[in-house]
Amino acid sequence: MAKKVQKVIPNAAVPPAEGRTVTIEGENYLELNDAMHTFYRRSMGELSPFFLALRDDKKIIGAKCSKCGIVRVPPMAWFCPDCDFAPAKAVEVSDRGKMLFTPPITYFANSMFQEQVPFGRGRVVPDGADTGLSVNLYTTTGILVPGIFKKGTEVKLVFRNNRYGKITDIFGLPASELSEKQLAKKGLLESEIDWEAAVEPKMPAATKKAAAHFEKAFKNLKKVVDDLNKCERAKKDIEGWKRTILVKTPGGKFVIAIDNGDLSVKKGATTKQDFTMVANNLDTVLKGLAYEGSLTEAIMKADLWISKNIEFMTVFKLERMARSLARSRK
Amino acid sequence: MGRKVGIVGASVTPFKGRWVEKTYYALAQDAVRAAVQDAGIPIKEVEAVVYGIYNDIFQRTCIPEHALQGLIGMQNKFGLRVSNGGATGAYALSAAHAYVAAGRYDVMMVLGVEKATDCFDFLSMSATPEVIKTIGWSGDSFFEQPIGWTASDSYAEVVLAYMDTHPGDLKPEVTAQISALLSQQVKTNKFAQRQHDQVTPEEVLNSRIVVHPFKQLEICVYSEGAAAVIVAEEEKAKAIARNMGAPVVWITGVGESNEHSFAGKNQKIMNRIMSDYYAAQMAYKMAGIKNPLEDIQVVEVHDAFVHQLEITLAEMGFAQHGRCDALVEEGTIMPGGKLLVNPSGGLIYCGHAVGASNIMSAWSARNELVRRGLKRAAVHGTGSTVAQYGVVLVLENEAA
Repeated sequence: MAKKVQKVIPNAAVPPAEGRTVTIEGENYLELNDAMHTFYRRSMGELSPFFLALRDDKKIIGAKCSKCGIVRVPPMAWFCPDCDFAPAKAVEVSDRGKMLFTPPITYFANSMFQEQVPFGRGRVVPDGADTGLSVNLYTTTGILVPGIFKKGTEVKLVFRNNRYGKITDIFGLPASELSEKQLAKKGLLESEIDWEAAVEPKMPAATKKAAAHFEKAFKNLKKVVDDLNKCERAKKDIEGWKRTILVKTPGGKFVIAIDNGDLSVKKGATTKQDFTMVANNLDTVLKGLAYEGSLTEAIMKADLWISKNIEFMTVFKLERMARSLARSRK
Repeated sequence: MGRKVGIVGASVTPFKGRWVEKTYYALAQDAVRAAVQDAGIPIKEVEAVVYGIYNDIFQRTCIPEHALQGLIGMQNKFGLRVSNGGATGAYALSAAHAYVAAGRYDVMMVLGVEKATDCFDFLSMSATPEVIKTIGWSGDSFFEQPIGWTASDSYAEVVLAYMDTHPGDLKPEVTAQISALLSQQVKTNKFAQRQHDQVTPEEVLNSRIVVHPFKQLEICVYSEGAAAVIVAEEEKAKAIARNMGAPVVWITGVGESNEHSFAGKNQKIMNRIMSDYYAAQMAYKMAGIKNPLEDIQVVEVHDAFVHQLEITLAEMGFAQHGRCDALVEEGTIMPGGKLLVNPSGGLIYCGHAVGASNIMSAWSARNELVRRGLKRAAVHGTGSTVAQYGVVLVLENEAA
C-alpha cells in the first residue's frame, strides 16, 4: 500500500480557482479566490542540535553561557547577549519543569489550528534551565479548561511517537495526571499516556417533569431559531456551511440543521448527524442561541458536551449568529 | 531635540469590516486627499511620506507601498515604509517626527493603510481564522508558530502573568464596564466600524471566550481602512494654521521601546509591559511631563484587549500596578473623570486597521484637543508578540 504523504497545505484548505461578482448599492465588484504561497527547504542552522536532539534522542538541549552560566532553553543564541557575546555550550536539561506563568488557552484558533482546539500554549521552565520553553499543553481528562495549568504547575514534557525535528515533537502534561513511573521515565512517549476517551456523558433517566420542561423550552427555542433565520446578518454567518447536529437533553432529543444560510430545529432523533451535543438542560442551548449565555462557556463548564472538538467551528458560528441577531436589533 | 514639529492636517477613511468596493490603493488615496484638504495645502507642498503598513500578506504583495508613491502624488520624493506589528502607525509617526525635527524636511505625510479581511478561510468559510493565521505568521517561526501562536494568546500570556502577580485586579466586571464605556464613546465617531454597536457590561460578560481570559467583546476587531497625518516644522505649521484657522497641535514628546521576545530569567518581564513604561517615560521626559494624570487630559491608547488597556494605562502612570481597576472603580476614566480614554472608541469599537490604527488614534486625539479646548493628549501604540513594542507620543494644543 502506498504510504500516505502528509502535505504542507491540506487539500481541503485549498480553494477552487474561481471568482464572484459582489453587488453593493447597485454597483458590481469582482472578488477572486487567490493565495500567496511559498514553499521552503528551511535551514534550521544553529538551532539544529536542539531539533535533532528532540527527534533522534528524545532529549532537550539548552545553551549555557560560559560566563554568567544562564541556561537558555530553547537555545536561541549560542553567544550570550548579556555577557558581551561570551560563547555558550550545549547542555541537556530535564523533561520535567514548572509553568513560568499561567498559560492561555485557545478556543478560537487560526485556520491551521481549528482541528486542535482547545489547546494551551505556555512556557515551561525545564529543571536545569533559566528560561521558558513554549510548548502546547494538554490534559488527559478531556477539554482543557482554566485551572489545570497555573503558574508553578509541575509539567512533564512528553515526546510524540512520530517526530520530525519540530517543536511539536513535544508537548506538556500536568505531572499530577501521570504516575510516578511515567514521571520518572526519560523520553516518555505519547503512546505511553492513558488518554481518557471522549465518552458520551450518560443521560439521567427521562422524567415527566423533564419531558414537560423540554416541550416548553423547545417552543422557545423554535421562536429564537425562527428569529435567527429571518436575520440577514445571522444567515450570512452560516453561508456555505452544512451540519446536522443531534442534540440530546434529559427531556428529549432534537436536531439542529444548518444548511447554507438556513437554520432549523426539529424534535426527534437522526442517525445522519455530523456530530452530537449532549446538554444537561435544553436551556443551555437556548440561552446560547438567545445571546443570554455562551455555548463555549457551557462546554468549558461541562454543561454541554460535543462529540468532536473540531466542531467548535460550528459552535462559534451558532454563537456568532446569536450576536448578529442582537446587533441587528440595535 | 531638534525643531518643533506640529500636526497640521489629519484624516481617516471609514473603518469597515470589509471594503469590497476599494483596494488599498483607493483607501490610501482617499486618506491623502482628505488630509491635504484638511491642511489646505496642495500635495506638491508635501516633501516626504512615511507609510505605516503592517502586513505584506494582508496586502498580498511585498513592498506594498511602491504603487502608492505615484498614486498619492509623491513621485520622485522620499518614501519610507514602517512595519512594526501593531505599533506600526505610532512608529511611522515617530519616524516622520524625527525627519522633520532633524531638519531634513519641512512638511511630511504619515499614511497608514491596511486591508486585512480579504484573507478568507475556505475550511470554516469565514474570514477571521485566516486573518488570525496571517497575523500568526508574525510569531517566532522556529518555536511558536508551529504550536498555534496568535496575537491574542501572546497578549493573554502577559495578562495572565499580571493576574498571577495581582490576582484581585482586572476583574471581569471591570473589563466588561470598560468595553461598555468604549461602546458608548464610539457613538460620535462616524468613521468607526462599530459606531452603532453599543453593548452592556452584561453582554460583555456573557460573550464567548476566544482565548482565555479574553472574551469576544473585549478584543479589538479587524478592520480595513486608512488614516493620514500631515506634520510640519514650526514656521510652516504656523502658516498653515493661520490659513486654516485651526490651532497647531504640537508633538512635544516621543518615546519608543522594544522588549525581549523570549521569557524567563533576563528576558521579557512577562507580568509587565515594560515597552509601554519605557516609551512613556521617554516621551514624558521630552515633553516635560512630571505628573501624567494632572498634565494629560486625553489618551488614545492602543486597546488590542481591554485587560492590556488597563495594564498599559498603569505603565503610562495613570494607575498603580495591582490597582488598575481603580481606573473604573474610582472613576478616573469614567464619564466626568480626570482622564478621557479612547474617545474614538479605540481599536475595539472604531476598528483595528493595523498600519492605520495608531494614526487614527492621533487623528482622534488632535480632534478632541481642539474640539474640547484641552491642553495635552497622549497617543499609544503596542505591537509584536507579548506586547513587545511600545510607542508613546505627547500632543499639545497651542490654543489651550
